[in-house]
Amino acid sequence: MKIKVKLYTILEKYAKGKVLKNNTIILHKDTTLHGLSHCLKIPDNIGIVFLVNASPQDKEYKLREGDEVKIFSFIGGG
Amino acid sequence: MESLYGYFGKQLRVSLNNKEIVKENINASILRKYLGGAGYAVKVLYDEIPKGIDPLSSGNKLMFATSPLTANHIPGGGSIMLCFKSPLTNAWGESRCGGNFGPDLKKAGYDFLIIEGKSKEPVYLIINDDSIEFRSAMRLIGKSVSEKLRIIREELSEPKISVMCIGPAGEKLVKIATVMFEHRAAGRCGVGAVMGSKNLLGIAVKGSHKTPIAQPEKLTEVAKICLKILRDNDFAVNLKKHGTTGDMAANDAAGDWPTKNWHSNSWGKAEQLYDQFFNKYLVKNHGCYTGCPIACGRISEVKEGRFKTPLHEGSEYESLSAFTAFVFNENIEVAIYATHLCNEFGIDTISAGAIIAFAMECYENGILKKRDVGSIDLSWGNPEALPELVRKISLREGIGDMLAEGVKIASERLGRGSEKYAIHGKGLEAPAHDPRSGKVLGITYGTANRGMCHIHPLEGMAYDSGKVDWGLMKYGVPDPNTVDRWDEKGKGKIVKILQDALILPDILNTCKFFMYCGIYIDHLAEFLSAVTGWNIDGQELLKVGERVINLQRLFNVREGFRRDDDLLPKRMKQKPAFGFYENEDRCVIKDYGGMLNEYYQARGWDAKTGIPTKEKLLELELHEK
Repeated sequence: MKIKVKLYTILEKYAKGKVLKNNTIILHKDTTLHGLSHCLKIPDNIGIVFLVNASPQDKEYKLREGDEVKIFSFIGGG
Repeated sequence: MESLYGYFGKQLRVSLNNKEIVKENINASILRKYLGGAGYAVKVLYDEIPKGIDPLSSGNKLMFATSPLTANHIPGGGSIMLCFKSPLTNAWGESRCGGNFGPDLKKAGYDFLIIEGKSKEPVYLIINDDSIEFRSAMRLIGKSVSEKLRIIREELSEPKISVMCIGPAGEKLVKIATVMFEHRAAGRCGVGAVMGSKNLLGIAVKGSHKTPIAQPEKLTEVAKICLKILRDNDFAVNLKKHGTTGDMAANDAAGDWPTKNWHSNSWGKAEQLYDQFFNKYLVKNHGCYTGCPIACGRISEVKEGRFKTPLHEGSEYESLSAFTAFVFNENIEVAIYATHLCNEFGIDTISAGAIIAFAMECYENGILKKRDVGSIDLSWGNPEALPELVRKISLREGIGDMLAEGVKIASERLGRGSEKYAIHGKGLEAPAHDPRSGKVLGITYGTANRGMCHIHPLEGMAYDSGKVDWGLMKYGVPDPNTVDRWDEKGKGKIVKILQDALILPDILNTCKFFMYCGIYIDHLAEFLSAVTGWNIDGQELLKVGERVINLQRLFNVREGFRRDDDLLPKRMKQKPAFGFYENEDRCVIKDYGGMLNEYYQARGWDAKTGIPTKEKLLELELHEK
């Protein structure tokens, strides 16, 4: 299935070579957000937050065709 | 006598009443217990500021503190810490600022500068090694920060001298007034009003001394290791590229972006606002002190239109959040402009945004009417209202006179239920992080000695959501990846260790952001050992951190602060009204009292009063207090 994925700030580098230019990535059916994060090789020890179609979702969320995913982490700073 | 390294062993005491200047020898025996910065300062100010004084009276003291690590060549070493009794909270006040002023004060041969009394007429101070001089500040009265800096430099014919000053707001004793170091602010707790109350409008400093270093080769070696850590660190790379503003979208998504005076913990607009800022108005990054390897500061400009600005420094995460999310404003240009105005008038952007949000909610609910506010339309998000209220607060004009007191006092004066719109801790307006994103932040907010600030409590958000451990797992902090950010149980114990560690940059005057980039307390201990010759480790540093937190707590206890002052505003514990987490139960703080009990137990403080126990004070060698 095709989903759209966008990564921000410290996570941008994990898109290289895996996410196509139109922010699309092809995944197996029923891949979870945790699976997507593994596929992108985002280290497990980085705190991340997912928005799927503009709603916060946990890493167990199963992705569906056409979902739009945004993945954020934190630079730190007040 | 044993040689002293890392310090000059001198503090400069300036008594403004009679223009007396005394160069005092420091009692070296207390240095290892308190080190420097906010640590040494709380020892001095606890002993010297009498209980109950008006913070804007001549009895208050303002201390400028450096540390053995205050030096341009130490990564993160370019900061100065200002400590005082806060006019906004009547509690312990501190405010720090990055820049060359701290290293230059040290080069002049002074570890600490204590300002006391009140000058009969406005003056500014010039420190040049042994030469200390007062100058009339009559020409500076009413001038903006940029103008003051320019005039002082011209008068001294010293284009490169480090200069700090207050703006017009500090002269008018606005309780959210800043002290500006060039164009960066020691922003919080009303330090500018304290300086204004003393008729001291500015200080210029330069020096030619070198701090004695115990083990220069070891210092070079530790610096090399730390610089390599910073070069390879993703956080450092992104702080340089995006600055603190780069977290706007992430914090919004995490529910860590208080919006519309805390009606919600997210808005869904941060990504768009940050994209506009990054792509159109950000000009370049900038280091606050010469030699900073990260340089997270932002230089920005609005080139045209009614919110046009010159090229200027500002627009950090807190400032842009205060003038967008806090006040429900979607116009990024006015947020940049209002930030710039705050820096020119010399008021704190966080408190200013929070006060305007408070005023907007009072206006919405009929507590403030158009005739009360000089006919300004204070509807949520009205961009025109922001610069106008910044100006009125800064100059204490009309409604600005009451708002200049901060939300706590303003709401007490207004009454009619406005107290519930005043979002603060101990009187300090809350910054742009939200404990409905992670519960550690609730306790760090509630218990921070200077009130609800963005520096000390930030570790709560970074631990719960960012999963940052700062190398503290070896000192008892659980792996953040095993801790659910929404949980409450166990958070009180975690906060105790986080606070003891994360106060160390305020004691050692090192940049806190470097700790986010991999420079941990063990590195700070190595730096300190190399500079001072002491064999000091991370555990000893944690003990100093704990001692300083307890002494700051005692400062507040003496002023009457108790457990009830550690509470959170009701709205901060409730379901968000809209946004990504609308009506979500997991955001709710259900048992804040239980978390506080757990925290007090970990601290060794009395559960009923929040006062440190005798046993704890004995353990920390504070029993004489």
